Order: sequence, then structure tokens, then C-alpha cells
Amino acid sequence: MIDTSDVWQAEPAMTDRRPVRTFFTALLTRQAWAELLYAIILLPMGVFGFSLTVTTLTFSGGLMITFVGLPLLAGTGLLSRYLGQRWRAGANRLLGWDVPAPPPFRAKPGLLGWLSSCLRDGTAWRARLYLALQLPLGIASSVAAAFFVSYGIGALTYGIWYRWLPCNTDPRTHVCHHAAALWNEHYIETTPAILLTALAGLVIIFLAPWIVRGVLAIDRITMRALLGPSWTSSRVEELEQTRAQAVDDSAATLRRIERDLHDGTQARLVALAMNVGLAKEKLAEGGDPSEAAALLERAHTTAKDAIAEVRDLARGIHPPVLDAGLDAALATLCAHSAVPVELRTRLSVRPSPSIETIAYFCAAELITNVAKHSGARRAVLDATTTGSRLRLSVFDDGRGGAQLGGGTGLSGLTDRVRTVDGRLTVDSPAGGPTTVTVDLPLAPLQGDSPRNSLQEGQH
Amino acid sequence: MRVAIAEDSAILRDGLAQLLTDRGHEVVAAVPDADGLRAAVEHDPPDVCVVDIRMPPSFTDEGLRAAIALRHSHPQVGVLVFSQYVETRYAAELLAGSTRGVGYLLKDRVADVREFVEALTRVAGGGTALDPEVVAQLLGASRKTDTLASLTPREHEVLTLMAEGLSNAGIAGKLVVTERAVEKHVANILLKLDLPPSDTENRRVLAVLRYLES
Repeated sequence: MIDTSDVWQAEPAMTDRRPVRTFFTALLTRQAWAELLYAIILLPMGVFGFSLTVTTLTFSGGLMITFVGLPLLAGTGLLSRYLGQRWRAGANRLLGWDVPAPPPFRAKPGLLGWLSSCLRDGTAWRARLYLALQLPLGIASSVAAAFFVSYGIGALTYGIWYRWLPCNTDPRTHVCHHAAALWNEHYIETTPAILLTALAGLVIIFLAPWIVRGVLAIDRITMRALLGPSWTSSRVEELEQTRAQAVDDSAATLRRIERDLHDGTQARLVALAMNVGLAKEKLAEGGDPSEAAALLERAHTTAKDAIAEVRDLARGIHPPVLDAGLDAALATLCAHSAVPVELRTRLSVRPSPSIETIAYFCAAELITNVAKHSGARRAVLDATTTGSRLRLSVFDDGRGGAQLGGGTGLSGLTDRVRTVDGRLTVDSPAGGPTTVTVDLPLAPLQGDSPRNSLQEGQH
Repeated sequence: MRVAIAEDSAILRDGLAQLLTDRGHEVVAAVPDADGLRAAVEHDPPDVCVVDIRMPPSFTDEGLRAAIALRHSHPQVGVLVFSQYVETRYAAELLAGSTRGVGYLLKDRVADVREFVEALTRVAGGGTALDPEVVAQLLGASRKTDTLASLTPREHEVLTLMAEGLSNAGIAGKLVVTERAVEKHVANILLKLDLPPSDTENRRVLAVLRYLES
């Protein structure tokens, strides 16, 4: 999904916690004047863009029977793309918008390759559409700007210029009024009426920047959809990023397992074999049986340590109880926690195995964080399925202040969760309490049934 | 003692059989899966079964399912579940109902042969044998943290051993104190947890477990 939520946020220059003050000072900001300027030049640009699109399309279409038709269509597509991008960059600079750039045009080799790349370039086609849509957008924005500004100024200064108005004869009394009339009967010529008009003008002037901004918000959404990267290319970029993270993550895990096996388990097994070997020699030589017993005692301890170590290692790779369900695995996890954790699960559907694994390790990490950093006295782990999502949240009554990337491993978790299109949010005001929520799909490739989509995805 | 073993790893199965035979017990069946165990128990019920949790065909919890089924169909046969891991949920399922003739031990415990055989004997005789790890998890999952915190460290130790299924004599041996001292600790613990004094270890374990779960 393209995130459009930020479109509706006020610009930083005008953002303020005091809404009344923000309303009245908007007019004085550079932003407001830039928007006014943009709203006005959008009209001529719209006329140009619309004509360009319509002309090039009809012209190329008409020439389609000759050999110039297709190259012309391709070339003007590139031109539209170029103009659209210049316009996008200009708007970003002038208005402080952040419409991202689409991936650059890449042509296949050869003339035919170039031609087909041009014709199949979605960005160029979307740019054409944007240029054409600029006309209605430009009309709307410039009309809004012109109307509000001229009427505002006009009404404000009405008291000065109304007396030079031409004679406005009342059809009923045939009296000549040098004043404007509302509904053809109320003549604005008394002092209170003039003051009221000036006040109305003032309100309109203060309202103008907000109206213009509202109209431009439509332009911004259109621009984001038509001049920004397409949904597919944003998605590709996101997938490339998360795939790289997943690969790094698994490589790091393998390295850690290798190190644990090598430094821990293997070393213990070597020591075990050595002690048993020594004891065997002692007994074979007919030496002191108590020395052999001591060696065997040491070997015994080492063997038991190695068993415990391998168990922890295996559990760290994949806890077997996950096969019995996420709730069973979380129960053991909570029972092991140093801080008392209350477990609440409402899992009406079983997530796919990979999601269960990710959810389990997230829970493990979050509970460890609670014990290590929060100073909490109690915590609650909640796992709930709603619709096609699994929501995991860990609440604690600790000191709060947890942040993404605060060295608490939360950013690592975020990366891991992102590989399956999940999300991690932290709510942790200083002083607590802290709630970390992990939102995951029920299956990494969302399908009709969570359990099946994994297999479907492998076709 | 007549023992049936269900364990899919051949090395461990033969090792267990060897260990028990050496100590004068009779291994009446040694099978690699749950179906084999059911057949063996139907055919000739032993005193006690040693059951691995993860076995073929699905390698998840078929041993546990078989153990729970056996506890219902053959209440007189003791069941010792023997696993590489201890899971709170599995322990709760296994101990639901009664603690008569049931055990849940980590495979590691076989390394201390004498204790392992003692635990097995206890289960065969209708007693309980819970791994210290199981008890630690039950304590960890318990919501009675305030009451548990009111126990002295020694009382905590005694409670843990009680929950593992040890008799007063067994606890005294482990902690190297007199049986009298253990009796005093047990009375104090029951008083603090507001549990009725019970005559057998079995009822005592059950009461403690129910207390921790509630």
C-alpha cells in the first residue's frame, strides 16, 4: 500500500499546537505564498499539459498507419515522463512536498527494444495522465485562489471604494444607491454593514490559504499516484530491502549456531572423550581406581552440560513445542521468565509455521527485554488472531522510555517482522508503562486460507 | 519391576533396556513408536512405561497423547514421560486429574542412574516423579507469587522437592537434614499455603500442583 496518511498532515512551517494561532498566522508563512503561487501557475501548466497529451496521442494515433506513429508515441511518452518529473521535482522544492521519484527509465538494447520499453513504460503513461489531469486541477486551484483572494481583499476594502460604484437603482423604490446589494434588496451602505463586510473579507482572507491547501492536497495525492513510483515498484523496492535483511539475518543466525557448536558443545565433547580416554588407560594400566573414578566423574558432569547446551541450542533454532501450537510454546516461555508474565491467548485460527516461529521469537525477545531493561514487576503477553492478522502484544509496568533502535534489539525485531509484511509499534512514555505490539499476517503470502497459502506460494 | 519402553532412538532405547536389566528389572517391551506401546500394554500390562514425547510418524507429541490415553485406559500402569524438553502445557495436560503413578522427566536425568531408577520405581508404585525443571516452570507460571515469596529459602527448597514427588525421607536425604526437620518445614509450608495436611505423598503433590495452577 502506498502510504498517503502524511498528505493530510499540515506542513511543518504551519504546524503548531495552538490551532487558533496557527489559523491566523498561516497567511504570513512562506508556505502559504508558495502554495498560492503554485495554485495559480498550475492553470497555464494544465492547459499546456492537457493540450500536449491530447495532441500527441491523437497525432500519433492518426499516424499509426505510417511508420512514424509508434516512434512518435514512444518519444512523446518520454517527453511527458520528463516534464512530469521536472514538475514533480519543482513542486517538491517549492512546496516542501516529498513525492518520491519513480525508478529511472531503462531501455532494452536495440531500436525495437527501445521502442517497446518506451511504449510499455507505465511511468510515462501515468505521467501523460497526470499532465492531462492538470487542467481540471489547475482550474480548481486557480479559481479557488483567485476567488478567495480577490473577494477577500474586495470585501475588506469595500468601505473605501463602494461610493464610486455605478448607480444601482432599486426596482421598487427607484432610488439610486451607490452600493452593492445582497439579494437585490439589502444595500450595503450603513457603517455597521460596511464593517461587517470588511470583517467577512478578513475571514475570507484568513481562510484562503487553507482552501488553497485543501485543493492542492488533491493535486498532491494525484501526483503521488501518477508521478511517484507505482505500487509495484515501491513494493519491489520494499521486498528487495526486506529480502536482504532476511538473508543477513539467517546468515548471522547460522554464524551464531556454528560458533555455539564449535566453542561450546564440541569443546565439551572433546573434554569428555579425553577424560574417558584417560580413565580407560588408568584402568588398563591397573592404576589407582580412585583416580579413574575422579576422571569419570568429570566426564559425567561434562556430558550432562553438553546435553543441556545442545538442548538450549536446538530450542533456539526451533522450539519443538511450536508444532503443538503457539499458545503451548508461549506458555513455557512465560513460565521461564524472570518477571512474572500473565499469558492471554485467543488464537481462533492457526497461523502458518513460519509466522508462528517469528511470533515466538518476537515474544521471547520482548519478554527478555522486559526482564533486562524495564525493571517491571509484572508483564502481560497477549496473542490474538483477528481476521487475517495475528497480533502479539507485550505490556509491562516498568520504567518505559523504550525506543526503536535504542539498543534494545527492537530494530532487529522490526526488520525481522518486516520480512513478512508485519509491523512493530512501541508505546513507551518515560515513566511507563510500555506496550510493544507486533502485527503479523497469518501467512507470509496472504491467501484465502493461512495454512494453504504457503504451499500455494511455492507453485 | 516390569518395564515397557517406547523410544524412537535405538541407542537410547537399548541403553535404557541395558541399564534397567543390569539393575534387575525386567524390560517386557522396547518399541520405537506409540502404536507399538499401545499394543504391548494391551497384550501384557507392565508395572510402568517409559515414553518419549516426540516419536514417529509426526515427531510432535504422539508420546504424550499415548501416555495420557494409557493413564485413562490402564490406571494401574505407571507412566513416565521422558523428553528432551519440558513444556508447561504438556505438564499441565499430563497432570490433569490425578498425579497417581505419573512422571515427567528430562532425558538428561538418566545420566544420574540411581536417581532415575528411584523415580521410575516411585512411579511404578503409584507415586509421582516430576523433573525439577517441571516444578520450576509450574512455580514460574503460578500467579501465587505473593504467598510463594513469603516462604523461607529452605521452605522453598522443600516445596520444590515435595512437588517433585519425594517423600519426607527422600527430601531429608537430598537436603542432608533429619526427617524431623523436613516434617516441620512441610507443616509450615502447608500452613502458609493454607493447604490441608495429607497422609500420602501423592495427595500432597496433587494439592501443591493444584495450588500452583489455580
